[in-house]
Amino acid sequence: MPRVIKDASPLHWLLRTLAVALILFTVVYVATTAAPSTLSKVTEACALAIVAVGLNLLLGYNGQISIGHSAFAGFAAFTAGYTVNFWGWNAYWSLIVAMVLCFILGLALGLPALRLKGPYLALVTLAVAFVWPTIALKFLDQKVGKSTLSGTKLTPPSWTGIDNNREGRALYLYWVSLVLLLVSYIVVRNLRKSRIGRSLVAVRDNETAAAVMGVNLRMTKTITFGISAAIAGVSGWLTAGRLSTMDENSFTILNSIKYLLALFLGGAATLLGPIVGAFAYYFVDDFLKVNTPKWDWLPGPLGEPGVASFLLGAIVIAFVFIAPYGLVGFIKQQARKVAIVAPRPLRRAPAPAAEVTEQVPAPVAES
Amino acid sequence: MSDLLQYILNGLARGSIYSLIALGLVVIYRGTGHLNFAQGEMALFATFFTWWLNDKGIPLAIAVLISALLAFGAGGLIEWGLMRPAAKKSPFAPVIIAIGLFQALNSLSGMLYKGAGAGLAFGSLFPNKPDDFIKFPGGAVWRYERIGVLVTVLLISGALFVLFSKTRVGLGMRMVANNPDSARLSGVSIGTILMVSWGIAASIGAIGGALVAGINGNVNLGMMFSVFLLGSAAATLGGLDSTLGALVGGLLLGVIESLVTNYPKDWPGHTYIGADTAVAVAFVIILVVLLVRPAGLFGSSRVERV
Repeated sequence: MPRVIKDASPLHWLLRTLAVALILFTVVYVATTAAPSTLSKVTEACALAIVAVGLNLLLGYNGQISIGHSAFAGFAAFTAGYTVNFWGWNAYWSLIVAMVLCFILGLALGLPALRLKGPYLALVTLAVAFVWPTIALKFLDQKVGKSTLSGTKLTPPSWTGIDNNREGRALYLYWVSLVLLLVSYIVVRNLRKSRIGRSLVAVRDNETAAAVMGVNLRMTKTITFGISAAIAGVSGWLTAGRLSTMDENSFTILNSIKYLLALFLGGAATLLGPIVGAFAYYFVDDFLKVNTPKWDWLPGPLGEPGVASFLLGAIVIAFVFIAPYGLVGFIKQQARKVAIVAPRPLRRAPAPAAEVTEQVPAPVAES
Repeated sequence: MSDLLQYILNGLARGSIYSLIALGLVVIYRGTGHLNFAQGEMALFATFFTWWLNDKGIPLAIAVLISALLAFGAGGLIEWGLMRPAAKKSPFAPVIIAIGLFQALNSLSGMLYKGAGAGLAFGSLFPNKPDDFIKFPGGAVWRYERIGVLVTVLLISGALFVLFSKTRVGLGMRMVANNPDSARLSGVSIGTILMVSWGIAASIGAIGGALVAGINGNVNLGMMFSVFLLGSAAATLGGLDSTLGALVGGLLLGVIESLVTNYPKDWPGHTYIGADTAVAVAFVIILVVLLVRPAGLFGSSRVERV
């Protein structure tokens, strides 16, 4: 029999505190001991995680698929790179502008999304991702005059006490990316736990029923698209800070596919899923690329990333069968065999509150 | 004027390939309601197999036929072994499986065939010598190869039309597309129908891949990316559940792309309309069509009950 832990009981708080302490310890431990190349990998994984968090709001909670998020990230990265290098803007100011512009573009793409559903929306957003490189190329050709655009060259401000050298910049970017990831997570978490989050899920589950219940479909769907695009923009800005140069191939459909896979791998419609999934995807991919198996009996070009990429595809397919609700869904399922967190009794519950806590709720995944 | 005719003829050839990809998508979408993101890579894998058969001395036309037949079986197997069990697991599962297949099939092709990345020489199914063409008065030229591609696609569309409207299997497919539950109650084996749908889509892909490779003159790993994207756009334009829509959408898209690519340099707006923005312009047109008709030109929209 699994042990029942009451929500917000001392034991529950202890477990939560332990989890947070463990994460904090890992973050600080990595910051103090890891090599700059590792820090830079964590930054890249964070950039992936940030988009996945935003995409989760749109796809996981609101049920609107977007394969176009690479275009938003690319747009933000180019906005940051251009304003910093050509107009001499402050890099942080460019973050805000890039976010606002991405939000507006997201609203604009959300408008056709009001009329389109499922596969049609997938294909339209796919088209957006496909068109972005041609726009970027035109932009590079007409406004930049070179085949590449420089990044924003984020340097640590003096108050942080971090040296302005290669190691220092990697460490600074590491902290910046973690802070941005945390902020994105908190934004999505708070949205999800609020009235807005409930209306998002209602729209996902049944639009007509949600409209009848008084949810404003247009507002909900377009604004969700906007917020999700703005979060993708944050990731793009971070990438512009990490890369020394960008070109039209820095943000392609393959990036969008990566975002989706990271989200699904971790578990869509769970709060931690996109973050867990992004780190898992990034480091498995990285591991496979570094340790490409030597399959000498195959006739093709071996030692190239082909084998790694094949294994990644195979792992993704296998994962659907092992953990259909992603890593987080899988962990939740297993943890439920050990302990169950009973929800807090409702404050205005019509029934005696004590009885509610005794029930054993078993939803498959948080939704 | 003859230039315009020439661009339209070129566009029709390119567009008929988009139509083939779109047809593959539509056949699967009608049965399952899923988008098969791996359609392009399934075609690619089959095309590499065709190349291998041809390399071993089998004439190209027969190699394509063998490949298409085997693809039929492989498509059915994918449905039975991967898609069907996965669809029961979670609502997102079919999308993830398709994306995983996309990645796995592409890299598997690279692993199995040496030199696949750079491209392997691939012959054409149709007469392709420099003087194999019909000349129109005015100077426009219609190459036999382009005619052949268009005719092949029209024949496949015609065959699909006959299959859907005149045969028992086609009737079953229409029933499953219309209402799976009542189809099951009427004794239609949904599993078989879906396997056949996937098989047909894979076969169409195998033929389409051979046509693309024939026009390019080689088969390489990146060949199907843009063809798939424009093919899926064609399916959206025509309506995802309409075979006629896929045909018309593909041809229309090919012609639009060709016309935009050759937009005269001295006409207004040429900074933004031209070869490098052809795809973007095509997508803007599709977006406008979808805003007016969300289910595409020929697609049917469904009424939902609550």
